[in-house]
Amino acid sequence: MLDDNKQEVLVANQIKAESKGEGRYLYCVADSGERADLGKIGLDGKEVYTIPFVDLCVVVHNCAAEPYRSDDNEVVKRWIMDHERVVEAAWEKFGTVLPLGFDTIVKGEEDISPDENIRKWLEGDHANLKERIDKIRGKAEYGVQIFWDPKLIGDEIAKRNEEIKNLNQDIKTKPKGIAYMLKQKLENLLKKEMEKKADLCFKDFYARIKKCVEKVRVEKTKKIDEKTQMLMNLSCLVDKEKSKELGEELEKIDKREGFAVRFTGPWPPYSFVAFG
Amino acid sequence: MIDIDADNLKHGVLGLVIALVEIIRDALRIQAFKRMEGGSLREEEVERLGEALMDLDTAIEQIKEEQGVTQSVQSVREGLDNVVDEVLNTMINPERQREKANEKQVVEV
Repeated sequence: MLDDNKQEVLVANQIKAESKGEGRYLYCVADSGERADLGKIGLDGKEVYTIPFVDLCVVVHNCAAEPYRSDDNEVVKRWIMDHERVVEAAWEKFGTVLPLGFDTIVKGEEDISPDENIRKWLEGDHANLKERIDKIRGKAEYGVQIFWDPKLIGDEIAKRNEEIKNLNQDIKTKPKGIAYMLKQKLENLLKKEMEKKADLCFKDFYARIKKCVEKVRVEKTKKIDEKTQMLMNLSCLVDKEKSKELGEELEKIDKREGFAVRFTGPWPPYSFVAFG
Repeated sequence: MIDIDADNLKHGVLGLVIALVEIIRDALRIQAFKRMEGGSLREEEVERLGEALMDLDTAIEQIKEEQGVTQSVQSVREGLDNVVDEVLNTMINPERQREKANEKQVVEV
């Protein structure tokens, strides 16, 4: 008898602990008040569904109220890819979404379930969320990266610049110690000229791209290799109807000798929603 | 316990030393260049300076090759470059820094 009671208390405690330790992993806020199932497409194949509030919903899966952690980089990479895939699926289904960063988890409290917490958030932040959704409705994010071949561009500059031409002549005729010093001079000069040119190109391309897009964010350029240098790295928020125009403008740049453009997208507008 | 591999240590220390020598060489080169441009050197002095720097280049390259530390020298220098870039970037673009700080804020639900 006593044993039975004990058992019951134990079970009750366990249930309480479980509901307290329960959380919802958030992918994005979507422009729909629909209660929908998106299938087993979440992190590690979790069932993904929506928690609606009036005309908004949050795309989630059920999880423990603790962050996703792993020492294995491959696992983390897979999770992040899963996360992005779900955001994309929601984006296709609902049209407009505000993506949340990886590992955003809402947990319950003593007597409030995680779902209630989420609805409270949607209710409290409703106007703000709506406003942000309105701003990106019908728009998508595109990545624009422009590269040049420094060798080719450098040669081009060297051919036209009188001072560089003279230096090249001197290097051939002077003794080797002096030639070495002059080579330094030539390198410095060429570097300066290339920076000038890069600056001009950046301004020119930026202005042309700006015309076709809603918003631009200038991202850090990355190092590629000796043969290709990233000149600019932009995230653009583009009206879906204007993406063709942007593509055509970029094609013109891509056709220029020594230049190359990478144009990616459309993506959900990750870079243009303030959270995460 | 700290596990020190003798070979690794050699690479690390030697890489660091050579990277510093290269940086000093670069500084010397800039100085030499400035003097040449300033016109305070005679032609044979420029020739001697140039040759000395050239020999230094050859010696550094040779050591890097022989000891197999080209890669580790490069990574020390890139590491230093990144630190300097970061500091300069913060100084030149305070707005960008603030933006970054804002991005880090997590949604409070």
